[in-house]
Amino acid sequence: MSGFSAFLAKELQEIRKTWRIWVVPGMVLFFAVSSPIIAYLTPRLIASMAESQPGVTVILPPPTWTDAYGQFLKNLQQVVLIAVVITGAGAISGERAAGTAVLTLTKPLARGAFVLAKIISQSLLLIACAALGAAVCAVVTRVIFGPAPISPLLNAVLLWLAYALLLVTVMTFFSAWFAARGAAAGLGLAFFFVSLLIGIWAPAVRYTFIGLLPAVAKAIAGQPVTTLWPLATAVAMIVVSAAAAVKVFERQEL
Amino acid sequence: MTDGSAIEIVGLEKRFGSTKALDGINLAVPAGQVFGFLGPNGAGKTTTLRILTGLAFASGGSARILGQDVTAAGNQLRSQIGYLPDVPGFYGWMTAPQFLHYVGRLFGLPRETITERTNALLDMAGLTSVRTAIGGFSRGMKQRLGIAQALMNAPRLLLLDEPTSALDPIGRREVLDMIVSLRGRTTVFFSTHILADVERVCDSVAILHRGQVVADATIAELKRRMAVDRLTIEVEGDAELLSADLSGQPWVRSIERAGSRVTLAVTDAALAQREVPAAVVRAGLGLRRFESGEVSLEDVFVDLVGPNER
Repeated sequence: MSGFSAFLAKELQEIRKTWRIWVVPGMVLFFAVSSPIIAYLTPRLIASMAESQPGVTVILPPPTWTDAYGQFLKNLQQVVLIAVVITGAGAISGERAAGTAVLTLTKPLARGAFVLAKIISQSLLLIACAALGAAVCAVVTRVIFGPAPISPLLNAVLLWLAYALLLVTVMTFFSAWFAARGAAAGLGLAFFFVSLLIGIWAPAVRYTFIGLLPAVAKAIAGQPVTTLWPLATAVAMIVVSAAAAVKVFERQEL
Repeated sequence: MTDGSAIEIVGLEKRFGSTKALDGINLAVPAGQVFGFLGPNGAGKTTTLRILTGLAFASGGSARILGQDVTAAGNQLRSQIGYLPDVPGFYGWMTAPQFLHYVGRLFGLPRETITERTNALLDMAGLTSVRTAIGGFSRGMKQRLGIAQALMNAPRLLLLDEPTSALDPIGRREVLDMIVSLRGRTTVFFSTHILADVERVCDSVAILHRGQVVADATIAELKRRMAVDRLTIEVEGDAELLSADLSGQPWVRSIERAGSRVTLAVTDAALAQREVPAAVVRAGLGLRRFESGEVSLEDVFVDLVGPNER
């Protein structure tokens, strides 16, 4: 077993054996179950509140599977992506602060392999979370709302996943760049919120990875989505961020 | 590698802004030796070790280990080195056997070898019966595990940064015995400020002070070079008179006075044994005690770096 595969195996085992298993996977699973339930209950709650107000009539359309999927993706886009930023901030800076990077990197493991193993392990975790979350959400939605098409959910989750994988790589770069986890997290949050803000500018949405998140809502609604440019630029951004993370980390003193 | 040197350092420099942590050090560590790297805190010992292991980068000069330049060190070189940092960091969720297995896999060792060495090293580190995760270990236990992991690949060169500083006297003795047992098979280069450890196990020593190597020799040679003997004289009367009388003598290397006691480092013991009693008489003092003995490494160290450095 080479140093790379030994370190990757350690990373995956660490996810399973530490608090990391409860953060992103726990959140995704929670939202996969709770989102369809909330979508089902929300109109009833609003109607019951309106009934207590004399003279107020609220007419809401009955909830459907679209609301369930929409609620799930909204949670993924907001809460889970912020969790991805926070946990990703410590990917490399955490090992540096704990001194574990020193013991590992004085063994036959190149710094580039160290960084790539970090990106791959976090990406595998996100892919597993997205697959599990989508499956659970589909099942709970079907139980509550009856038969519902799977493809809008899958398309939307895949678009979300593309953005989340980009965020993982960008966070690994920030974590390699800054020794302090807080600095990496701050910059990551700034990157996330600025990319949300830029989402109101049409050319950025059409031609860059910024367009991935607005496309999620369209995919759920079954509207046609053209994601060639957003996906292509996301892949380019992932490659550039990974290369930059390796380069920055190779030049740093531990 | 030239002339069997495991480590060759030429003009090595390290600057942090305007501060020179290493100021052109030169050093050759012969293969198979136990080599002590001595110096007070802040002398540059850890910085040197970090450069040798590729964790930090030199500002100037060069360093080669096992014949290879450390700046170009790859997996092939790292697979021949064992390293223990001054404060080793472990994954707290792992147990000691899990960590040693992980290290063995990083080195690409066969499964049987990993199991065999893990058992032997756990035994050596006194951690065989410990089942708790490393997060619950004491500092001494972590230090012993740190030494065990540094030996997992049966290294040709073992770099240890203050390996005994966190250990109790028994643990310290065990580690020193382990270092001695490696002599001839593995080159051991260890930094410390515990002079007794160096005197006990090292073949040669280099003393680093303010980023410069101020001495580099075998311990016996170093003592011979610094001074032949140390004399302790205790007098009745004002010892300052004796100090003043002896201070101009060419065979006196250094004088320390504490109350009625005067300690001399001398280059000619026989001459000193004749001259000192005469000087006591000249000063009108009574001689209460007159002892001679070899200088210790501590005497040499204090002579070189000054009494206030630790």
